[in-house]
Amino acid sequence: MIGQIYIEGDLRVSGIVEGEVEVTGDVAIDDLAKVKASVTGRDISISGHVVGAVIARKRLEVTRSGSLIGDVRVARLTIQDGATFSGKVSMGTAAEAPAKTTETKPPVVEPKPVAVEPKPVAPEPQAAAKPTAPIVATPVPPPSAVKAPTVPPPVAKAAIVVPPSAAKAPTAPPPAAKPAAVPPPATVGRSDGKGGKAKNQPKKGKPKRR
Amino acid sequence: MDTQQAVAEGTHTDGQSDSKRDGQQQKFTLGPNDSLEGKLTYGGHMAVDGGHAEGEFRVGGNMDIGNGSVVKALIEASNVTIKGVVEGKLTARDKLTLGKAAKLNGDVQARRLQIEDGASLNGYVRMGDFEQHPG
Repeated sequence: MIGQIYIEGDLRVSGIVEGEVEVTGDVAIDDLAKVKASVTGRDISISGHVVGAVIARKRLEVTRSGSLIGDVRVARLTIQDGATFSGKVSMGTAAEAPAKTTETKPPVVEPKPVAVEPKPVAPEPQAAAKPTAPIVATPVPPPSAVKAPTVPPPVAKAAIVVPPSAAKAPTAPPPAAKPAAVPPPATVGRSDGKGGKAKNQPKKGKPKRR
Repeated sequence: MDTQQAVAEGTHTDGQSDSKRDGQQQKFTLGPNDSLEGKLTYGGHMAVDGGHAEGEFRVGGNMDIGNGSVVKALIEASNVTIKGVVEGKLTARDKLTLGKAAKLNGDVQARRLQIEDGASLNGYVRMGDFEQHPG
């Protein structure tokens, strides 16, 4: 057989296989089998001749008569005396690391700082510039906070734009809240930046599955 | 003649009495309270039994690294049996055995290789006869 195989279940190879073998269950490669392929499976037992990378989610066994040439990534590895093996072995943490480490959960954290920071921003301007406009100032930050989590990049831009406009019209209540907010927006922008990067990571991580 | 004995020993379950039996080759053991650091070239067998060893060891006979031992070294020996933790390049002129609790980090070269379930190995493995001989 030459080509790619994907099997949901177990596979036993007794003949000649070339290409790519991916099996959700166990793989047994018999004495007389010759495999020139990358092999992926749960439990893999090799008694025949294999050339190619092997990934065993659980266990790889190379028996007395087996020979394996290729890199191996496994959780557990057994090689019987008499077997032939050449290649790189990655086991345990090293084997699992590449698959799962990329996923983190910064997006969840992101909305919290964004929502929290605007609120302290509002009281500061009120105290500094206009104590008379607390009622107007408080409603203003919430919308910006709402926008922040949904569209991170635009918000970052907005934060940059805000200071000049605020400098021009310090008299208007809504801008008044923003100018005093000049230092805080910087932090908001950063948190957004983190959020944006973080959101990209899961996207890259997920499609790895075939 | 030595190698034949060594092979016989390797195939059976290894015991210290076995290696003592062939009187021609000496054996030295690093006990739990012993430690060795440096470069060692030794004609006989070497065993690390709970001790700590670091450096470069070229042993004419067998190398035994017992449970609880920690060895960070370049190792070269005829038969190497590991049940402890080893870090470094390893060459077994004959057979390398990794026991259940063995942890080996490093590249391996061996004529024969046996890995028991539970052992952990990270590194490149090369098997077969050697072109390069101990210098």
